[in-house]
Amino acid sequence: MKLLLITCFFFLSVHLIAQPNCNVYLWNGDTAQYKACQYLESNIEKYYQFSKNFHLVIDSALLICPRFAYAYREKSAPFVKSGNFTEWKKNIDLAVTYDSLIYLPVRASLRYKFFADYEGAIDDIVLLEKLSSKLVEYTSNGTYHLEVVKALCYKQTGNSAKALAILEKHLLTNKATPGLYDFLHLAVLYLQAGRYREAEEFLLLQNKAYEYADTYFYLAKCYKAQSKMDAFLDSKNKAAQLYKIRQKLTDPYNELIDQVYLSDIENL
Amino acid sequence: MNLKQLVLFFLFLCCSTSLFSQQTRWVDDILPDSLLDDPAFRICYNEDQAIQYFNNGKGMEYEGDKPALTDIFHKQYKPVASIGQTGFIRIRFIVNCNGESGRFRMLCSDLNYLPVQFDTKITDQLLAITKSLKGWKPKLWKESKVDYYQYLLFKIKDGNLIAILP
Repeated sequence: MKLLLITCFFFLSVHLIAQPNCNVYLWNGDTAQYKACQYLESNIEKYYQFSKNFHLVIDSALLICPRFAYAYREKSAPFVKSGNFTEWKKNIDLAVTYDSLIYLPVRASLRYKFFADYEGAIDDIVLLEKLSSKLVEYTSNGTYHLEVVKALCYKQTGNSAKALAILEKHLLTNKATPGLYDFLHLAVLYLQAGRYREAEEFLLLQNKAYEYADTYFYLAKCYKAQSKMDAFLDSKNKAAQLYKIRQKLTDPYNELIDQVYLSDIENL
Repeated sequence: MNLKQLVLFFLFLCCSTSLFSQQTRWVDDILPDSLLDDPAFRICYNEDQAIQYFNNGKGMEYEGDKPALTDIFHKQYKPVASIGQTGFIRIRFIVNCNGESGRFRMLCSDLNYLPVQFDTKITDQLLAITKSLKGWKPKLWKESKVDYYQYLLFKIKDGNLIAILP
């Protein structure tokens, strides 16, 4: 049931963020974008986004309105998935040019996820903060709030203290609804700072939402550091058991930050 | 829209349409090239049946998982000490239904995602190591082993290999 809910969450979040409401353009008196949007909406779902026809539909929509940011974002999507950074960036930059508030978060979250471009992602988020005081709820793939993306990017650039401060503010002070892996990331930062009591607290909270092999791996590390050997062995065994049934952090495109592998668990 | 914007837009459309040749069906499909490819490499099915590495929801599949793959690169890649050799290098290729790889193609950019050429001491090493990888798992699609497109993306800073994706 939980897995079903998680799947629905992913699907809905991607769907909700991906589809523009064409009527908004009409209400704003922008008939060119409205027509381009309607054309795209009526034709695009027939084709796979890697296909020639998909791109022909997008190009036709852009002929109707060359300012239609959503079309550039859609055009960029297969390129990010094929690792074609030059074509992706050319198209996503145009989406950002024509609608910065909507597409800066998309560009930021894809920069860090697909290209390990943590500095570029932070630059995009900082720029977005200058343009708008409130960061959007969830990023393009629905996994993370942009505050969490910002924290993870700071962590990956070696600034764990800043990452921890951002996550604490987001999850504990502002009491944001935690995302799928948020408590795990927070706990790992505590663990790396030697704050074992807090690390354990949030790993156990993560387990209350859903149990991952990765969470038990970090629990085992936490117990080992405190010489709690029985708890360490229990957690290590549970991590291996969950890993073997693929109940672990996973993403179809990329390795996730703090994700672990069977060799990590066995070498604990 | 002024004339300059209109010209730029049509140039953009021309460039984007040229991404597909007559024979390719999908973005970034790799056609065989007798000058570049190992003649012994064959895909198992038709060109239009190759899937993308993420289509089965399992991401990159390599024997020993990603740590085994990154270990190979970190052991074999010799850093090329050179300030300014910084950016991204993607090597895209096909893994056939037997787990053999071929049709390797390279794409390079700086950190601003603009095309650049790297020192061949860097690119030759990465290409050679990628070609030597033997742990690709055949992907299952509807219970059959299929051909698929995979890529490796290397982030390089001053000639050092600092990240491998996906």
